[in-house]
Amino acid sequence: MTRRFEDVTLGEQIPTLAKTVTREDVNAYADASGDQNSLHQDDEVARSVGFSGVIAHGMFTMAHLTSCLIGWLGDPTGLTRLRVQFRAPVYMGETIVASGAVRSLDPDTRRAVLDVWVTLERDGRTEFPIRRGEAEVQLA
Amino acid sequence: MNPAREGTWYAPVRFEVREEHVSRFARAVGDDGSFVPPTFVTAPEISAGLAQAVADAELGLDFARVVHSEQEYEWSRPVRVGDVLEVVSQVESIRTKGGHEFLTLRTEIRDADGDLVVVARSSLVVRGNT
Repeated sequence: MTRRFEDVTLGEQIPTLAKTVTREDVNAYADASGDQNSLHQDDEVARSVGFSGVIAHGMFTMAHLTSCLIGWLGDPTGLTRLRVQFRAPVYMGETIVASGAVRSLDPDTRRAVLDVWVTLERDGRTEFPIRRGEAEVQLA
Repeated sequence: MNPAREGTWYAPVRFEVREEHVSRFARAVGDDGSFVPPTFVTAPEISAGLAQAVADAELGLDFARVVHSEQEYEWSRPVRVGDVLEVVSQVESIRTKGGHEFLTLRTEIRDADGDLVVVARSSLVVRGNT
């Protein structure tokens, strides 16, 4: 059931959703999306452009963020806008964690704007595969 | 890349939303398959935009050096299985800065009635030699 406008508060945190990314995930995503860039499938190609190995598609990470938002919203059709910046690569075996927070609420349209992001931990540091993302959702 | 290709519209692509494709996409992104994932629109977007940009010899895009930098979707309505979509992409901008090249593609996806379903904007970086 779609989350109700009255049940949402400013600053509310979206529960995190974590996923460990595997080569099988990335191959399946390449096939399903049609993005066959070898940067996501061939370590040699990835190294030739400065990465340490194949990286996940940015859109794979964005899709994971979307799953996180839908889990909170309770309605896959309620996402009306999503904008993200990809700011760090995701390597195979790394765990991406999606989350967000409610930035503003509009009682007239019963919509909320959320700050959204995806993090991962690498060498003791927090990286942002997605940072400064913005989502708009239609609440019930 | 050839900056003169800025503004180019690519040929519209017809894209039928099939159940098998949707469930394959849903599995790939970890959803349970009970709904069309909102980012399923990436598949038609790529078929009309990125695929034609890669095949555009006059544009000269080196696909293996392409990294995604920004993505935006604005949905007017959710995509449904059985939708027959018309997808059209335009080269919105081409820029060069600091040894890297920047390409933005804008894609409009409409349904069989001509009503807008989603507008997508995809910003790509072609990495210079490192």
